[in-house]
Amino acid sequence: MTRTRVLVADALALFRSGIQAVLGRERDFEVVEASGLEQLLRAAEERCPDIALIDLDLPPRGGISAVAQLSEHCSCCAIVWSFDPSAEAVLEAVRAGADGYIDKRISSEGLVRSLRGVTRGEAPLARDLTSRMIDALHGLDLRERARERAKSLSARERQVLELVALGAQNKQIANELLISEFTVKRHMQNILHKLELPSRGAAVAFLGKLEAV
Amino acid sequence: MNARREDGTLVAVVSSAPLVGEALAASMEALAEVRWFPSGRGDTAGLLNSLRPDAVVVDSEDEARAATPFARTSRVPLVYVLLEERKVRFLRNGGWEEPPKPDLSPEGIRNLLVGRLFGRERTG
Repeated sequence: MTRTRVLVADALALFRSGIQAVLGRERDFEVVEASGLEQLLRAAEERCPDIALIDLDLPPRGGISAVAQLSEHCSCCAIVWSFDPSAEAVLEAVRAGADGYIDKRISSEGLVRSLRGVTRGEAPLARDLTSRMIDALHGLDLRERARERAKSLSARERQVLELVALGAQNKQIANELLISEFTVKRHMQNILHKLELPSRGAAVAFLGKLEAV
Repeated sequence: MNARREDGTLVAVVSSAPLVGEALAASMEALAEVRWFPSGRGDTAGLLNSLRPDAVVVDSEDEARAATPFARTSRVPLVYVLLEERKVRFLRNGGWEEPPKPDLSPEGIRNLLVGRLFGRERTG
């Protein structure tokens, strides 16, 4: 019987041993351990595993970077795992080349089932993680559209908006930019029109979100 | 991990991750029965009072707080594994202490427990 070689990369021996204990009871798995990136790459070079289970916080630069580096060494199925994965973490892992994402709270039976699924070409991703990933994709799409709209602002309009975000009144903005208050109002109208926003407050919130990206 | 061992030594692991229970069960195999219970279900104190284990391992602050009264009154070893911080604490003389060289491996935690279960370390 050909056994599925699973390379577990996790700084915490508790999790590596937990997987050893669970998969050790199964006849179709063999486990190799790595506590960091260097060990992971060395083990993958020696013999490419079928599955690499990589901790999101794998030292020294994290699991997502490890997934990208691992893909340069061998073509195994890379799965990232962590506690309470965020939508962004799942999305980032998948974008880096991960084939799935597992929550560390997974049951022993669930883990075996997921890994066997991987050997059949399934992507392990819990239902709640799938919906979180879709949310993250939608968020990305919205941010992309926001960026596009922001690009339509002129340099002067952007300056006005930034001053508005700092809490400046039209008169203060006019003084700051050496323009008339009337011109500030015109700029503000143009900003709201281009960004398709209803109010000054909404424009400030838009800028805040844009800068947070 | 179902039947209690003949020597009766039972370690309760209250953790969010079943794999933590699996790792500790493997490391304690010849020494004690290890049972895993999911954390965050509430009434850990009630669970421990009913189960009356010989030692307790937890991995969250809430569970550590909930398990402390039982560990104190029953003078049972209580080990708190801080997975994110990669630290381990144990209850001694009513307060939390950290070993000088924290060892989060299953064997390291086993050694902490064994010292308190079968050795001369004072617990509670």
